Amino acid sequence: MKDTISAFMDGELDDRAAGQVIDALGRDDEALDTWRTYHLIGDALRDSRLLSAGFTARVARKLAAEPTVLAPRRLQAQPRTWYALAASAAGFALVGWLAFAPQQTAVAPIARQQPPASVPAKPNIVPLPSGANDYLLAHQAYSPRVSLQGMAPYVRTVSEPVQETRK
Amino acid sequence: MIHRLLGAALALAMGAAQAQSPETLSWLRKIHEATQRLSYTGTFVYQNGMRSETSRITRYVDAAGDIEKLEVMDGVPREIVRTRDTVRCYLPDSRVVKVDRRTERGFPALVPERITALARHYDLSLGETRRIAGYDCQAVVLSPKDNLRYGYKLYADLNSGMLLRAVTVDSEGNPIEMFTFTQLSLGNVTRDMVKPRHAGRAWRVEDAGAHPARLDGWGLAAELPGFQKVTELKRRLGESRPVGQMVYSDGLAAVSVFIEPLAAPREAVRTGLSSMGAIHIYTREVANHKVTVVGEAPALSVQRIADSVEFHRSQ
Repeated sequence: MKDTISAFMDGELDDRAAGQVIDALGRDDEALDTWRTYHLIGDALRDSRLLSAGFTARVARKLAAEPTVLAPRRLQAQPRTWYALAASAAGFALVGWLAFAPQQTAVAPIARQQPPASVPAKPNIVPLPSGANDYLLAHQAYSPRVSLQGMAPYVRTVSEPVQETRK
Repeated sequence: MIHRLLGAALALAMGAAQAQSPETLSWLRKIHEATQRLSYTGTFVYQNGMRSETSRITRYVDAAGDIEKLEVMDGVPREIVRTRDTVRCYLPDSRVVKVDRRTERGFPALVPERITALARHYDLSLGETRRIAGYDCQAVVLSPKDNLRYGYKLYADLNSGMLLRAVTVDSEGNPIEMFTFTQLSLGNVTRDMVKPRHAGRAWRVEDAGAHPARLDGWGLAAELPGFQKVTELKRRLGESRPVGQMVYSDGLAAVSVFIEPLAAPREAVRTGLSSMGAIHIYTREVANHKVTVVGEAPALSVQRIADSVEFHRSQ
């Protein structure tokens, strides 16, 4: 079912199959949960300010209801589209979202909270700008670090080829 | 709030009571002098988060001045050669040489007078001694007095003052970036060793054409405590983009503000922060210009500087 829901969200189902999914969403609570979860992940990835409605309350309820499973569980088949990848990317982002922003993927923290008034707003995390090396090289020349360390700080440029092959 | 007041009071009290140890200051001077005076060649590793890169660095000094060559051994090949007044970056994969010339009397350097001034923003102390790449080193610790800058731990050779390791730490004391020599030999450098490996004759030359200039109307609504404007210039980035650059520094950390006209009136500027080790980059749009702030400072500082960039139409 998860596969089908994911395919439906990607617009990959024909009318009949889509109709079946919509029916299922009306009947099946589990299917509806999957639908909401995928939308939530999509929102987080697209960096929407507003996460899908009722998100926090639902998570809290689900956590409270979750039984503690002590026995190992059979691995479930993964949904086949990017939502699955996204789920792990978003998890990763939560852990290390300021430590290192990957080049191509804009990952956004999933649980965006309203910061207290005295702290500047949490910034949007974006990929390094195109031509980042030009900025980095231009900046490095004026860093006083150079006078303690020589040229070494100049290694702080981007190594991925994509940055240098742009025309 | 209470904490901040206490912190400020404490900093004041300490600043008054405890002039920074003259021994630590003289260690910083010793590192600075070694950087100006020594010829050396060595291999160092640069690490941040999951990334680690090996580079070779060679410095040659004679009466005419000094030449320094840096070759990055991992990832995309890059070679950077600095002579007295020019930095050339060779990119063999794309057959490009990026050229950056000094604009004034030299690239702003940490001069001895400013070393003393560092004590305004950092508590300076001596740490442990430790052996690195065969050299017995003294640790010099710079702990920031606020959360607007990083802390540093510098390890320098007891004899020569040569910097063998530099660690940047965040406010919790976690290392976020490290340069460390794995092999170093002092002296015995010939001029041939700092020649660029590439002739780069048929390569495209991207000359930044940097020249001192006033960026009329541009400035910061509020400067970040301790960060002063050290230079202001116009240059090109890459092939053609003409941009203004203002550099702010507290004597050790630097933050550049790049200002470039939007390519098209509808060009979308993606506001936000990106990070690479100790470097943060914050981009936003101000008065039809793209403002990109780049600095080896905490995200908070880079964002605060970016947020205070403003434009006033000429008087």
